[in-house]
Amino acid sequence: MEFDVILGNAARAGLGPQAAIFALAAIGLNLHFGYAGLLNFGQVGFMMLGAYGTAITVATWGGSLWLGIPLGLGLCVAFALALGVPTLRLRSDYFAITTIAAAEIMRLLIRSSPATELTGGPFGLQTIANSFYDLNFLPDGRFGWGTFTYSSNQLWVMLVAWILVCLCSALVLGLIRSPWGRVVRAIREDEDAVRSLGKNTVAYKLQALAIGGVIAGLAGVIDALQQSGVGSENFEPQVTFFVWAALIMGGLATTVGPVVGAMLFWFLREGVESFIREFSGLGWLPDGLAGFLDGAEGAISIALMGIGLIALMALWPQGVFGRRRDLHLGT
Amino acid sequence: MSDVTTVRPEVTRAALEAAPPGRLKDDPILITFGMLKTFGGIRAVDIDHLEIERGTITAIIGPNGAGKTTLFNLLTGFDRPDRGAWRLDGRRLDGRAPHRVARLGMVRTFQLTKSLSRLTVLENMAVGAQTQRGERLERALLRWLWRGEEARVEARARELLDRFGIAHMADEQAGTLSGGQRKLLEMARALMAEPHLVMLDEPTAGVNPALTESLLEHMRALNARGVTVVFVEHNMDVVMDISDWVVVMAQGRILTEGPPEQVVANEEVIDAYLGRARDPAGGGEAGEANDV
Ligand SMILES: Nc1ncnc2c1ncn2[C@@H]1O[C@H](COP(=O)(O)OP(=O)(O)O)[C@@H](O)[C@H]1O
Ligand SMILES: [Mg+2]
Repeated sequence: MEFDVILGNAARAGLGPQAAIFALAAIGLNLHFGYAGLLNFGQVGFMMLGAYGTAITVATWGGSLWLGIPLGLGLCVAFALALGVPTLRLRSDYFAITTIAAAEIMRLLIRSSPATELTGGPFGLQTIANSFYDLNFLPDGRFGWGTFTYSSNQLWVMLVAWILVCLCSALVLGLIRSPWGRVVRAIREDEDAVRSLGKNTVAYKLQALAIGGVIAGLAGVIDALQQSGVGSENFEPQVTFFVWAALIMGGLATTVGPVVGAMLFWFLREGVESFIREFSGLGWLPDGLAGFLDGAEGAISIALMGIGLIALMALWPQGVFGRRRDLHLGT
Repeated sequence: MSDVTTVRPEVTRAALEAAPPGRLKDDPILITFGMLKTFGGIRAVDIDHLEIERGTITAIIGPNGAGKTTLFNLLTGFDRPDRGAWRLDGRRLDGRAPHRVARLGMVRTFQLTKSLSRLTVLENMAVGAQTQRGERLERALLRWLWRGEEARVEARARELLDRFGIAHMADEQAGTLSGGQRKLLEMARALMAEPHLVMLDEPTAGVNPALTESLLEHMRALNARGVTVVFVEHNMDVVMDISDWVVVMAQGRILTEGPPEQVVANEEVIDAYLGRARDPAGGGEAGEANDV
């Protein structure tokens, strides 16, 4: 078995644009849940708005990409307000249910036939990222070695994506270390206590939701640039749960947790998939099982990661960077 | 006293004086009228009129379920009454959100202590400080705008923690404090907000006698600095010891109110509340008086 191939594929995925996109979404979710205690199960909705806001501006309206991106991010703020204003005064479970429903309803609307003129419906939108790749100052050609060979444009999008990951991590770190962040973390611990001390907790929760949502919107923008297009099938509810998995693996309420978690998620996902492919390629398996595995590597990989995550929660609940001690501080 | 007639014009002074519970005070900081809160069929709070005298320590006593906590929730905006009006220092509070009530100077604590477990003790205190510039999102990243203020908040927090005897825990997470220390922290944190009126819901419940003594000292000291204190208490020794005025609640209503010596002598109170504990035949239940 070619372990170097498996490891190479896994590492490539762990460093690739998908990992950066997940890292951004997880940084936003970390602000939501890790710091503010908001149970957001609709993170993919923010990613979708960032991506579609950008793509619609460019592909449907023929506008500039540099107008499309702020528009997409503006939609994320609007989505945060629309989600939060009616529900953040209520118990947290109402908010959680609303987020998952709202994101999926939005996706179904986007892919519906009446919306085709605007969103491309089931076909999505293409060729939106030309002005982004025009900015690529890297020389043409291919870079790297072996598995780690990238085209100039691939490298460009990765460079921008990982720079954004660093900037957003720094932004959240700065916010959380400020008195504003102290109030947000206090709300996670006990909202009534914070209200009794004169803080408008609903406003803080809305702000945290909007900022984390815009960061997820950036993830969607990168996704759209990376593929130079959008499609509604990229924004199914499981994306939200994968982002949750990444965040929990990395460690909640830490700065590097969401980033390392996202890299680990893609490393494992691609590693297991690669492993299954290599393994069934050895011809050791009976034909029936090999036939079953063929083409199902992705699904099996996800299933195994689900089992792994359950084991992780049981044995190592704080994630890679979380503090175990925190888990035992009852409220 | 002009408040009386402006809040509820139909309530005349004469009518108020005719109704014994809800006595008029010389200089009330808090005035409540026609407060009703029902849960299903239960009248949890049903108070015609209640005034709290400025600068005093007022104890609210009454059996469990009397409506003391509900009254606190209503007055501080955590719950909405079916009807009722109340004023703090002449400002209407009804319909105001809890954080607005707190900003106007009435700060409450909770019967079940609410410490912010995964924040440090010092951070818990800092959350109590009011009108911090750094708490605004648009200034959060502009550290130079709030660095000085932050230092002042910390200094005040450390001083208060020192007074409350938990300064050595300042940098520990609040979740590691003992139950009694959490009560101290919650009270100290409320003081960070510099309230005019503090409402303490069972500050001494579950606290050992030594800590109780220190809590009472803090309440006295606070009061000496001009802060009005209202607290719910089950221990009659504490009530007799510290309070200037006692309000007795039962089944949502104010049974009677008055100076402590007078209240304990009141037949109705003895029947409704203190009876079993004072009754020699029921001596075995004396300990229960605290839980009734
Ligand atoms: N949220 C609620 N829902 C229903 N009933 C309540 C609620 N809160 C309090 N009650 C009822 O109101 C009455 C007063 O309760 P409470 O104010 O907690 O009394 P106290 O603090 O004096 O022990 C009790 O009968 C209690 O069961
Ligand atoms: Mg109570």
